[in-house]
Amino acid sequence: MAKKYSDGREEFHVEKGDPVGMIAAQSMGEPGTQMVLRAFHLAGIESTISTSGLPRIAELVDAKKSPATPITYVYLDKSINKDLEKVVALMKKINEVRMSTIMRHAPMENFGKGLIKISLSGQELESEQLTAKQVASKLAKELEVEAYEKDGAVYINAHTKDAKKIRALSTKISKMVVSGIEGAGKTTVQKDKNTGEFYIIAAGSNIESIINVDGVDKSRLTTNDVFAIYRLFGIEAARNSIIKELNQTLKEQKISVDERHLMLIADSMTSAGSIKGVGRHGLSGQKNSVLARAAYEETVKHLIHAAAFGEIDPMEGVTENILVGKQIPIGTGSVKLGIKTEQPKKK
Amino acid sequence: MVKKDAKAYVYINGKIMGFVDNPADFANEIRASRRKGILSGEVNVAYMEKTNEIHINTDSGRVRKPYIIVENEKSKLTQDLAQKLKNKEINFNYLLRNGIVEYLDAEEEENAMVVFNEKDINEKTTHIESDLSGIFGFTINVSPFPEHNSLARHAMLANFTKQAEGLYASNFNIRFDSRSYLLFYPQMPIVKTATYDSINMKSHPSGQNFVVALSTYYGYNMADAIVINKAAVDRGMGRSVFYKTYSDEERRYPGGQKDRFKLPPATTEGYMGEHVYSKLSEDGIIEPEMSVEEGEVIIGKVAPPRFLEENLGAGGLEEKMRDDSTILKAGEKGVVDSVVFTETTGATKIVKVRIRSLKVPEKGDKFASRHGQKGVVALIVPQEDMPFNSDGIVPDLLLNPHSIPTRLTFGHLLETLAGKAGAVSGKTIDGTAFAEEGPKRIEAYSKMLEERGFEKYGNETLYDGITGRPFKAQIFNGVVYYNRLYHMVSNKIQVRSRGKVQILTHQPTEGKARQGALRFGEMERDALIGYGASLLLKERLLDQSDKTTIAICKSCGGMGYYDHIKRITICSLCGKNDFEDVEISYAFKILLDEIKSLHILPTIKLKE
Repeated sequence: MAKKYSDGREEFHVEKGDPVGMIAAQSMGEPGTQMVLRAFHLAGIESTISTSGLPRIAELVDAKKSPATPITYVYLDKSINKDLEKVVALMKKINEVRMSTIMRHAPMENFGKGLIKISLSGQELESEQLTAKQVASKLAKELEVEAYEKDGAVYINAHTKDAKKIRALSTKISKMVVSGIEGAGKTTVQKDKNTGEFYIIAAGSNIESIINVDGVDKSRLTTNDVFAIYRLFGIEAARNSIIKELNQTLKEQKISVDERHLMLIADSMTSAGSIKGVGRHGLSGQKNSVLARAAYEETVKHLIHAAAFGEIDPMEGVTENILVGKQIPIGTGSVKLGIKTEQPKKK
Repeated sequence: MVKKDAKAYVYINGKIMGFVDNPADFANEIRASRRKGILSGEVNVAYMEKTNEIHINTDSGRVRKPYIIVENEKSKLTQDLAQKLKNKEINFNYLLRNGIVEYLDAEEEENAMVVFNEKDINEKTTHIESDLSGIFGFTINVSPFPEHNSLARHAMLANFTKQAEGLYASNFNIRFDSRSYLLFYPQMPIVKTATYDSINMKSHPSGQNFVVALSTYYGYNMADAIVINKAAVDRGMGRSVFYKTYSDEERRYPGGQKDRFKLPPATTEGYMGEHVYSKLSEDGIIEPEMSVEEGEVIIGKVAPPRFLEENLGAGGLEEKMRDDSTILKAGEKGVVDSVVFTETTGATKIVKVRIRSLKVPEKGDKFASRHGQKGVVALIVPQEDMPFNSDGIVPDLLLNPHSIPTRLTFGHLLETLAGKAGAVSGKTIDGTAFAEEGPKRIEAYSKMLEERGFEKYGNETLYDGITGRPFKAQIFNGVVYYNRLYHMVSNKIQVRSRGKVQILTHQPTEGKARQGALRFGEMERDALIGYGASLLLKERLLDQSDKTTIAICKSCGGMGYYDHIKRITICSLCGKNDFEDVEISYAFKILLDEIKSLHILPTIKLKE
C-alpha cells in the first residue's frame, strides 16, 4: 500500500476529527450523478452482458444478496491451462444444464398410465453434447424412478396413478440440473491475452462447488458475487471484493475516485463481521441515535420504538446534533477548550 | 399476419362501422369524392395495410397540412393555374374546392408519397409539398435561415419568441392585463420570411435591428453575456414599459357587512401611519400620474372585523373596521397610469389601478436574436469607448464570437450578413427556409455589399474606442434583429439580511414575494460537515434560523413555563423551579410538542 501511494499523496493525512465518511460519500456521490447519463456498454468484450454503472454500484452498496448478473472467473492449474481440449472438457463439467433448457416443451403427463413423456430438443442436446440416453439414466439415478429413452424422447414411469404425485414429479423434473454444477450457470472459455492461458467464465456464482472441481486453481478462483466470496473465504475477502468491484465499476465509467474512499465504505460495511448495506436496513438503520434514524427513513417506526422501549439518545452523532441545534462533534467541534477553574495559589 | 382477401374493418372516428372487401379501392374512392367536393374536405381516410383496417376521421383536433395533389405523374397545379394564382385571379380556396390542393392529417399522410420537387415525381408519387419551408411550423418559419441552425436552438427560439417584448396588442392602452410589456420603438426586421408576412407579424412587431459586431470586449461578453452601447440605449434601443394592474373589490360578507373603499381613518385596526396613505385622494383611491413606491397604499379599503367577538365590546358605537388596503409590492415602483372604478354585474364595486414603469436596458436584462442566441447585458459602454469603423459606425451590441461555433447557429451569421446588405441597400431581405441555397445567398448579399463599397463578406477594420488604434483582425459585423425578453433584473432583484420568519417553524420565509431568504439546503449542510466547520454550520442552521431558548427542569427533564403572575418559571411535571436555559432549534421544540400530543413524554437529560 505504502508503495502504491508514494506519489505525493502521503502529505494528505487524515487528521483527528476529519469527517472522512462525509467526504467519502461526496467523493462517490458527485461522480455518481454523471454516471446516470452515460450508461453505455463496451460491445464485444467478454460476451456476457453484466450489470454496470449506477445499478451495479447500488447493488454493491445496498448489499444485495445475489447480483443481477453473477460472473465467476475460473482459472486452471498450470498443468492443463494451455491445453484447450482439456479446458473445454473441464468447462463441460462445470457448465450447468437444466432440464428446462433441453426440453422442447413442458413434460406431458399421462395420468392414466402413470407415464411422463419428455420431448427433448435435438439442437440443444447437441450443443450441450448430451444424448437422450444420458439424460434418461441421469433422471433414473437422481429421482430413483424408472426412465428409458424412446425415439429421442425420455419416458418416466412413475409407478403410481396419483395425479398429484405425477404432477409433483414433472415439476421436479423441469427444475432439475442434468449435467454440470448447479448454480454455475452457462460457461465459456476465454484466452488470457497476456499469459496465453485459457480460463473459464461462468454466468453463476456457485464457487463453493466449483472450487472442488479437479484442475481448478483454487488460489485464483474469483467471482463478482460478494456474498459468495463472504461465504467461502470470509469477511476479509468480502471486504476486498467490495473494494475491487466498486473500483472496477467506477473505472469502467472512466470515473476516478480515490481508492481510500472505497476502502472506508467497504470497511464500514463489513466491520461487524457480516456484510451490511448502507441503507435503512444496514448502516443508517442501525445508528445509535433515535433522532438520526427518525430523520432518515421510517420516521414513525423509529419514534414509536423509542417511545415503547424508552430509548435514550446519546447525542453523539452529527445528524441528531444538527436537528436539535447543537455544535456537531466533528471537525472543529471535536475539540474542547479546557480551563482550570481552581484559583491560583496566593503567595 | 392478416389473411389474404379478408374483409377490412372500417372505423369512423375510432368506432367500427362495418366491413369492405377491397379496402385500398374503398379508400381511393373516398379520396376521389372528397376531391370532387361530394365529401367534405375535412374528411381524412387512411388504409392501414398491416392491420387491414380503414380509418376515416372527421372529428376535431387533428393537425392537418395542405399538399398539392399529383395525378398520373403530373402535378394538378399547372403552370397556367400557378400564373393565375400569382395574378390573383384565383385564390387558395379555389385550389381547395377544385381538388388541386387537399389537407392531409397524420394518419392519411401514412398513405401518401410526397415529393419536394416537381422533377422528382415518379409513378408512386401522390402529392407535392407546397413549399419546402412547409416542413417547419410557424414558430420556426418566422426565424430567418432556419435550415442553417441546429434543432436544439430552434426549441430555444420557440421559447424566446413567446417572451419577446413588442406591440402585443394595439389596444394596450385600454386593457388592464395583470402584467404587460411594451417596446418603445419596435421595428420590422430587415431580414424577413414569407411566414412573417402571412401571419401578419407586421402589426405585432417584437424587436429591433441592432448593429452587431462579433467581437470580445475586455472579457465582458464571456459566456452569453453581451456588451451594449450606452448611446444606443439613450436613443431608445430596447427601451420598454412595464404595466402591472392591481385590483380590489368591495366584498360582501354574510350578515350584511361589506368592505368599503375609503381613506382609512386613523382609528382603523392595522392603520399603518399617515405617510403611507398620503397619496390617496378623498375617495381612498390613488390618482393617475402619481408616482408610487413600494410600501405605499394605492387602494384604500376598510373591511369589517374577521371575528364577531371583536365587535361586542363597542356597545352600539361605530363599528371598528380593519384596514385592508392594497399596498405596492416590495421592489416595485412607477407611475399610476390609469385607474378604473366600476361595478360587477353583482353590483360589487371594483377598482383597477394600472402602474406603469419605464424599463431602460440595464445590466442583467436579457436579449435574444432569432437563432436561439440569448444573452444578458453585462456592460453598457459609452459610445466613445466602443469600437468603430472608418465611417464612424459604432455597433449597438458586441456578441462574443465564441457563442457561434459550438451552438451551430450559422443562421445568425447569415442574418448578420443579410441584414447588413439589406441595410446598406435599403431593401428587406427574404430569409425563408430553403428559398435559396446558402452559397447563392452569400453571393447575392456580397454583391449588394460590394456595390455599396463594403467588404463583401461583412468584415471591416474596426478601431479601438479607447486607444484609437485599428484592431489587427478584421471584425465581422452586420445588422441582426434582436428581441428584448421580459426577464429583467429590476423585477427580480431581492435582498435580505434580517427579516420575516414563518409563524409555525420560526424559520426564515422563502421566496421573493415574502421577502424571503435563500435556503441553506442539505447539500450545503453536507459541504460544511465535510469541511468540519462545526460552528459555522451551527450559525447557519441555528443562530441565523430558528434559535429558541427553553427552560429544562433539572430534576425531571421536562419543559418549564413562565408564570407571568408569580413571575417565576414552573415545571408543569414536578412543580419545581430549578431550571437550566437550553438553546435548541424551534423545529425540535415542535417535534417534542407533537410527541407530547401523542401522550408520549420526551425528556431532556442535562449533562453536568
